[in-house]
Order: sequence, then structure tokens, then C-alpha cells
Amino acid sequence: MKELVYGLITGIMFGFLLQKARVIRYDKQLGALRFIDMTIVKFMLSSVFVGMIGVYILTDMGLAKLSVKSTILGGVIPGGIIFGLGWALLGYCPGTSAGAVGEGRWDGIWGILGMLAGAAVYAEAFPFLKKTALTWGDFGKITLPQVLGVNHWIIIFIFIIGGSALFYWFEKKGL
Amino acid sequence: MKRIDDKGWSPYLAGALAGIVMILSVWIAGKYFGASTTFVRSAGMIEKIFSAECVEKMDYFIKKVPKFEWQWMFVFGIFMGSLISSTTSRSFKCKAVPDMWEDRFGPGKMKRAGVAVIGGMVAMFGARLAGG
Repeated sequence: MKELVYGLITGIMFGFLLQKARVIRYDKQLGALRFIDMTIVKFMLSSVFVGMIGVYILTDMGLAKLSVKSTILGGVIPGGIIFGLGWALLGYCPGTSAGAVGEGRWDGIWGILGMLAGAAVYAEAFPFLKKTALTWGDFGKITLPQVLGVNHWIIIFIFIIGGSALFYWFEKKGL
Repeated sequence: MKRIDDKGWSPYLAGALAGIVMILSVWIAGKYFGASTTFVRSAGMIEKIFSAECVEKMDYFIKKVPKFEWQWMFVFGIFMGSLISSTTSRSFKCKAVPDMWEDRFGPGKMKRAGVAVIGGMVAMFGARLAGG
């Protein structure tokens, strides 16, 4: 029960911020894919940078655990390409489609219906995929600091420097 | 805080605040953000109405049990949060066809609906395959 309440409150705060930054709009999502408006990239990277600093402080202090997913190339590479195709057609991603409906952009409902169908199709295909694509290039639960054999704060520092340069470029180009 | 009417808040500021919300979630509830598993659980719940035994035997629904849990409420919360934010700032607008879509493909609602359903199906299949 407590878990459900936490989920709801966290979702409300996140949805509120997504709407405030206008990143749940079709025009913003397609704007990024067309390289004409990088608002969603600015939002995503800002939250990733703040999030990774905070989460690594927590894990260093032993207050939280990372949730690392397996790196399976046979899943990630085709999955990423297929997701990108669908995302560009729909213009919303799984979380933002719910947010889009919240601000009245009810074409998000079509997206939600399609995604439910897509999830059902995937569940049917899963036994086959589990024996094929999902066994190709399985590197297990790896992280960048682990693979490169360096302290995680070095990676975080490099990411933030790179991200800041990208932000600077976006602003200079008016994207 | 910047509140230029239709431009909304700075994406850097709102994004950083979202990062703080994420940190708190990891700290307090031990939960990382995600949305796509919710569609799997919901699809399972819908399928269960028609054929409960069938769903119970499927590998993927054994792995991702069709039930309401943290992430389901999180996704519902995104809807609620967006509703609260938009209705209190006069940016809520009932719209069936996005502006950018209309400029390119016209105002037809059916065309938009058809492409959105197909896009949603493809996107979710890909997201699940990639594990995200």
C-alpha cells in the first residue's frame, strides 16, 4: 500500500514538471527528432546529470543500490531502432503519452492503446526471442566505470563536461 | 522562476528538479523511474478478463505479473500531475491533432489516430525488446 502511494506521489511530481517544461508535447518530441527544438534533450540530460550525482552519493554512502539492467546487444540494438521508428510515428513515449492526455492532448490515448497492443504482441513473441535475439551479445549487468576500470566520479565528471558543451552549443544555435 | 506563458519553465530547471525527485524516489522508496513495464502488466490484466488460465501460463506474464504496483501508480501519477499543472496554468487544451502534425498531414483525426496506434505498437515492442 505504502509503495502504491509513493508511486502516485512521485508520478504526480514528475508529471507536473514534465508539463511545466512542455516536454510531453508531440511538437517537442518531433522537434528533437527533426533537430529543430532540443527542449526535451535539455530536460532529459539535466535530470540525468542531477540524478546521477545524487544516486552515486547515495550508493557511496550505502543508502541506495543501483538498478542495472543487462546489456544484451541482440535486444538493445534492434529494440532501440524499432522503438525509434514507433516513437517518431506516435510522437509520445510510454510515460509522456499519459502526461499528454493529462494536458488534454487526447491523441495520446491512441498511443496508449497501441502500446498496450504492442506489449501483448511482445508477450507472445517473448518465448521465441528469449531463445534467439536475447541470447546474442549478452554482457550481463555492466556499467561504464566497471568496464573502463575507473572510479565512477571520473565518468560523471566527463559526462557533465560533455553535456555542458552540448547545452552551450544548443543555446548558441538557438535549438 | 521563469513562467513565460506558453513557453513554460526552463527545461534545464524543470529537468534538474525532476532529477531531485528521482533521487528522493531512489532514497526513500528504492524505486527508479520507468513506464513501459506498466503497459505489459496492463495488457496482461486486460487479457486476463478474457482468458485467465492462458495469461497465467505465459512466460512473460510470469516474469512481469499483471498487477498494480509502484510503477503503475507512477504512470497514473504522470497523468494526474500533468492535469494539475495544465489546468492551474491555463495550458490545458483539448486537442486531437498536434500542430506540427496538422501542418504536414492535415487536420484529419482518423489519420492521426491510425498512425498513433501503429506507432504505439511498434514503439512498445521495441522498448520491451531493448529491456527499457
